[in-house]
Amino acid sequence: MCPRCLVTTIDGMKEFDVVTVRGLRKAYGTRTVVDGLDLDVRAGEIVGLAGANGAGKTTTVECIQGLRKPDAGALNVLGYDPVSEAAQLRPLIGSQLQESALPDRLRVAEAVQLFATRSARDGDELLEQFGLTARRRSAFSSLSGGERQRLFLVLALLNRPRLVILDELTQGLDPAARRDVWAAVRRLHEAGTTVLLVTHEMDEAEALCDRVLVMRAGRVLDSGTPAELVNRHAHHASISFTWPGEVIPIPLLDELSQVDGARQLERDGLRVTVRGDRGTIAYVGASLVRNGTVPTDLNVHVPTLEDALLSLLDPEPDRYAPVHARPRDGDELVGGLR
Amino acid sequence: MNRALGRLVRAELKLMTRDPLVLTFVFAFPIVTMLIIGGAFGTSPDPAFDNVNPSHWYVASYLTVVIGAIGLVMLPVHLASYRERGVMRRFAAAGFPRWSFAMAQLIVGLATTLVACALLLAVAAPVYGIPTVHDWWRVVAAFALGAVAFVGIGVLLGSVLPSARSAQAVGLLIFFPSFLLGAGGPPPHVMGSAVRHVAGPLPLTLLTNAVREPWLGLGTATGSLIAIAAVAAVAMVFASRRTAL
Repeated sequence: MCPRCLVTTIDGMKEFDVVTVRGLRKAYGTRTVVDGLDLDVRAGEIVGLAGANGAGKTTTVECIQGLRKPDAGALNVLGYDPVSEAAQLRPLIGSQLQESALPDRLRVAEAVQLFATRSARDGDELLEQFGLTARRRSAFSSLSGGERQRLFLVLALLNRPRLVILDELTQGLDPAARRDVWAAVRRLHEAGTTVLLVTHEMDEAEALCDRVLVMRAGRVLDSGTPAELVNRHAHHASISFTWPGEVIPIPLLDELSQVDGARQLERDGLRVTVRGDRGTIAYVGASLVRNGTVPTDLNVHVPTLEDALLSLLDPEPDRYAPVHARPRDGDELVGGLR
Repeated sequence: MNRALGRLVRAELKLMTRDPLVLTFVFAFPIVTMLIIGGAFGTSPDPAFDNVNPSHWYVASYLTVVIGAIGLVMLPVHLASYRERGVMRRFAAAGFPRWSFAMAQLIVGLATTLVACALLLAVAAPVYGIPTVHDWWRVVAAFALGAVAFVGIGVLLGSVLPSARSAQAVGLLIFFPSFLLGAGGPPPHVMGSAVRHVAGPLPLTLLTNAVREPWLGLGTATGSLIAIAAVAAVAMVFASRRTAL
């Protein structure tokens, strides 16, 4: 535990807090980008800042690193004030910044030498760990997008940082490169490093983060574990299938519309979709088995963090109010919106 | 030297040697143009050149072309490109103090000036000969103050101009008239009075006078030396403010 973290400038800050932000406000001209934001990151956590472009995520982490001066608010990062103690704080943070680069002609091994302080880890070992050993003599401009991101990760981890800030880490990477980078972040987590991850990729936040804060217009709309956010904002699972016979038995439709947790049953010809909470999936499956058929095109959609984010950022009235009306022959939509 | 500064200087020096703009403008351009124009007017003392050997006149003048190219083209483009691409943000986030980057540019700019000028004299020596230096301390003082002044101007331009392209456009727009009117172009005696009036107060003209006159024994150029010292002071103050040096 860092002894400096005991030095608190914010009431209520606990000794295991790595980042504590209260009432952060930042405007560019007349445009307010961060508007009264509170944030806590505890030691060993991976915390995600999620939200659409322009939500104020990058400005927030830039203020945390001392790269931008907040207009208002109190910040404490690893026991330091990022504004007045930036020089002491920055060496403790490893960061991968959005839209930043290295000099084009700087070679990979030279970049490692340039960024390595006295307490740095073995750069060659890190390069090997991130699959860049063969590119040691390559110029930065010749690296692919994935290689650049991996090099930024190497540089972010080089000086044994206590906090790692990763801003749009996998933007523009192909799926395989994304998985490689995710694996690297998971290794960081296992090693106990605290990570603040800025992303608008919800699958990334769901795969990596212990907690996620969803931001819009510079404010935190909600925060919690990915599962908590999904349960709060995207609890509708859906199960759809095409009935293999010529006519869907009315008793089956009746049964499906009344299973526990079902909120809507939609029928389009022989295609049936049931929406409800996660438990609905099991009940619908059981009903189908009881009725002697398991459709080959059975499709299940489990709610994701992306659904939760979309629901949070673009709230609509609950479209799936629980209505268990008996389906009538010929009805296209039953128990929900037509 | 501060360790972070040392690492930056080493990296920047390596990068300079790989930059085609530097190799072209700072090393090749002054040498090639000096060889061409130095031979264009012969080697006999000429009244248009204050009765000195025209080749020697240009050898003494072209050191300041190197200084001008570094301050008006190399540094602005280099720094603006770094800022535009987020390289400086990355350095700042990695804990490099802001002053260390500006100081590294100062050191690299001065080191490049010394190496490029030495190379220019090494090429000039077997072709035209190096003219005798009449007043060493004034020449050295003018050279040093001029190098500091133009590195300061370069850092200042690089910190103000928004992109590498704009830095290149503005830098070249300032460099070529300064070069033609104040250092590597025709001697002032053959210029019309209006052009001479425009050329006179240009920083590169002042610097060239301050180096060339005491070098060739044409005068002390004290006024030009004081003026270039003032330019150096002002440029460094503004560059320091812009870069938190």
